[in-house]
Amino acid sequence: MQFLEKIKKSIFSLIILIFLIISFFVFKFALQKEKIYSPKISENQIFTDFEVVGLIEEKQINFYEVLSGKNFYLINIWSSWCEPCKDESEYLLELKKNTPVMMIGINYKDNKKNALNFLKLYGNPFDQIFIDKQGTISINFGAYGVPETFLINEENKVLKKYIGPLNDEDVYEIKNITNN
Amino acid sequence: MIISQLGYYSLIFGLLTSIFIFLNSSIQLKKNILVISDKSIGLIGFQFFFVFISFISLIFSFIISDFSNETVYNNSHTTKPLFYKITGTWGNHEGSLLLWLLVLTGVLLGFVFKSRNEPNNYRLLTILFHQITVIGFFIFVLKTSNPFNAIFPVQMEGLGLNPILQDPALGIHPPILYLGYVGTSIIFSAALASMISNYVNKSWAKNIKFWILFSWIFLTGGILLGSIWAYYELGWGGFWFWDPVENVSLMPWLSLTALLHCIVTLEKRELFKKWTIVLCIITFALSMVGTFLVRSGILNSVHTFANDPSRGIYILTFILVLVLLSFVIFVIYENKNFTQKSEIFTLSKETAVLINNWFILYFLSVVLIGTIYPIFLDVILDEQISVGPPFYNKLILPFLIPFVLFMSIGPSMKWIKTNFKFGAKSFFVIIFTLILSFITVYYIGEKNIFILLLFIGFFYLLLKSLDQFREKTKNFAQIFSHTGFSLLLISILLNSFSSREIVKNIQVGESFTLKNEKIIFKKIAIEKEKNYESVVGFFEILDDKNTIINLQPEIRIYNEPEMATSEASIKTTLFKDRFITINIIKDQNFFNVRYQHKPFMIWIWISTLIIMLGGMFAIFRKNKEVNI
Amino acid sequence: MYSKKVKLRFVFVIVFLILIVLTTFTVLKVLKDNVVYFKSPSEINLLSEISNKKIRVGGMVKKDSVMMNNNKINFIITDFKNELYVTFSGTVPNLFEEEKGVVAEGFLNDKKFLVADKILAKHDENYMPPEVKKSLGE
Repeated sequence: MQFLEKIKKSIFSLIILIFLIISFFVFKFALQKEKIYSPKISENQIFTDFEVVGLIEEKQINFYEVLSGKNFYLINIWSSWCEPCKDESEYLLELKKNTPVMMIGINYKDNKKNALNFLKLYGNPFDQIFIDKQGTISINFGAYGVPETFLINEENKVLKKYIGPLNDEDVYEIKNITNN
Repeated sequence: MIISQLGYYSLIFGLLTSIFIFLNSSIQLKKNILVISDKSIGLIGFQFFFVFISFISLIFSFIISDFSNETVYNNSHTTKPLFYKITGTWGNHEGSLLLWLLVLTGVLLGFVFKSRNEPNNYRLLTILFHQITVIGFFIFVLKTSNPFNAIFPVQMEGLGLNPILQDPALGIHPPILYLGYVGTSIIFSAALASMISNYVNKSWAKNIKFWILFSWIFLTGGILLGSIWAYYELGWGGFWFWDPVENVSLMPWLSLTALLHCIVTLEKRELFKKWTIVLCIITFALSMVGTFLVRSGILNSVHTFANDPSRGIYILTFILVLVLLSFVIFVIYENKNFTQKSEIFTLSKETAVLINNWFILYFLSVVLIGTIYPIFLDVILDEQISVGPPFYNKLILPFLIPFVLFMSIGPSMKWIKTNFKFGAKSFFVIIFTLILSFITVYYIGEKNIFILLLFIGFFYLLLKSLDQFREKTKNFAQIFSHTGFSLLLISILLNSFSSREIVKNIQVGESFTLKNEKIIFKKIAIEKEKNYESVVGFFEILDDKNTIINLQPEIRIYNEPEMATSEASIKTTLFKDRFITINIIKDQNFFNVRYQHKPFMIWIWISTLIIMLGGMFAIFRKNKEVNI
Repeated sequence: MYSKKVKLRFVFVIVFLILIVLTTFTVLKVLKDNVVYFKSPSEINLLSEISNKKIRVGGMVKKDSVMMNNNKINFIITDFKNELYVTFSGTVPNLFEEEKGVVAEGFLNDKKFLVADKILAKHDENYMPPEVKKSLGE
């Protein structure tokens, strides 16, 4: 009788344990699945067109029109208040010098004065800069925060996506892809 | 700038203090030095004090609009009224976690003071277990959601607070709700401690009952405020949508209610020991899961942009660790100290409590399944579904009838054994119930027998509860909360069956009718406020006696961030709310107008307050003999 | 063989188990009947038959498609591949606008026509219902 009781108890405990662990993994996957939820552009995907406004010349233009005439485009989301963006700027400058890529900056939740100061201070690696005051464009890109960088080819396809500041390896990879 | 620094370092000191308390109490337990000196109480006070300083400095940063602080920058704006600058402190992820931490350390301090007459090894163990939760949250805040991140260069202007959150009820909603949620943490720690120190008995029940009541009252209040907000702000005129975010607060409430009844049984009769402990653990786990679901962004809530999954995974892992820990402790200590009296089913109060618990557990499971089933289905089968109100109504309503019947007769039962006398008085109550129910059903014109049964059950509970006022030994706590509960059910039922609404797209000058009332759209006006512009519609309602009621619903277009909300205009009377909202659609001449009659709305709020009042009676009359 | 108490206990356990199984089945059945599935216009186009169950459809409100009169609002939901006509009488949410994301809940008349009884939108204009984004993303 006592033996039975013991077995009963351990089976019961086991069921609860299994249930807990399954729930844990389901929730964990649900968290990661969020990537599909959030409007993220994953690699090898083409994104739809939207309108953007320039930082220096405040005029409205379709983003598709920006993406023409080059083989590769590098989109960098940055902000003057973002510390890692400062370290990142030298990598971006290097890329501008050594690759045939068109550099596009998206200035995220910032104000114009600070943004222009930032460029004066750390150099301007961008061919074109657009503003994203509300953070909506960055949502379209599915960015988590700043900085974030996308490499796009002439078919508007996202080849690479870098979350956080670029590093030596990333720069090497971008050079490799774009110079071939 | 300096204030943020102060807040940040204060948090770090808080964490260090916690670790020190944790180590100190482990050493004490190991060496069997079972004293809690003033020094250790002082440390717990310091821990709370550090978090408090940190919280105050965050509030201060919000008040002075210190945009060098990232949290302030993301969630505030200089044009915001002072009140919303302050409530903005906890209207965001980082700030609300800091508030969570504040309450978490606060309840421990309260516990240490309130448990001076308890055995010291139980107190030490409670402190120890509580520190695990506290340290976990400290690390969570510091590592993934530091509210004091600096941004440089300093911004001139913040990004603003979501206008839908700029509302008085929602401003004080989170602190109240959190007191309820986090109050359950001390119950959890105490339950584990009592198990290990072999202290699951009458005096433990007496000690922990305060905290159960404390959490229960605040949780009830928090849910009430949330519902009131949803009623007038979301513009649908509903107060409960079975939305996952709402369910998440209802679940701990249900298990707390079950626990509340168990703890009294434990206090009186030393019964349901194991079950009480299990409920303590479940309640805390549900509160944590609630935080997790709302904060992680698995559920779609008002908080939206860029949820960082690492936060969610941290909380999730933390919950798993805590639940596993309690599970292991439970399995090990289960047999050691639960010498339980055999439970034989007799007609007694114990049995009534047990049945009440089964029902509550059933309701809890229904809500739980409805809430997490979509998540499971999404992960496993990649299908997106939503579970609507019919699911809950179908599964909960039928079981409410037997539930309220047990609830009606339970309180008049005695402990151990009851001899039921079916006298003239009971007969009178039943007759009166039937008359009331038939009149009500006739009045609202429902021919459904099921509705009649529901009313009979609810009215019976109401009359039985009121009847107890005539008894010699009155238990106001129980009478008030049961009366409140029956009133709540009756009001909700009446509200859902005799609400009327009409939706029309009309232009200025046009009118329409609902029942005997004529609704005339007089004019619109544009008004400018500091942080929004509003389009106000002027409506005149002519009722059957030709009295004029003026209603002015608004559409507000907030400036920072730019967003439109519609503000309902509500005319409340004792028996009926008149509720009107308007909407505009861009480039259309028509206004989308919704006009509703919501009967007995105010009674839903009042009855919830009566339920809370019952809880307060239980707290303040704790020295007297209290029954349930 | 066994004492009365053990027998009683046995009966109790059996009854309890049966009750649990029964409730589980009822809950699952009710759940199955009351969930609302989410589809995009393209997915609806691929359906082999139109069921009489409630569904949710998500997509963008097509430009210049909103028509209003006293009782009804008609518009078109598009996912840029397929379109669905929606007719609706009721309250529209604050953020209902052409070229914005929308979720309509209701019954299908055929593959091209939905009679909606609820229009949903989220409280944040930066936000798009995840299902919509998903169906647009595909």
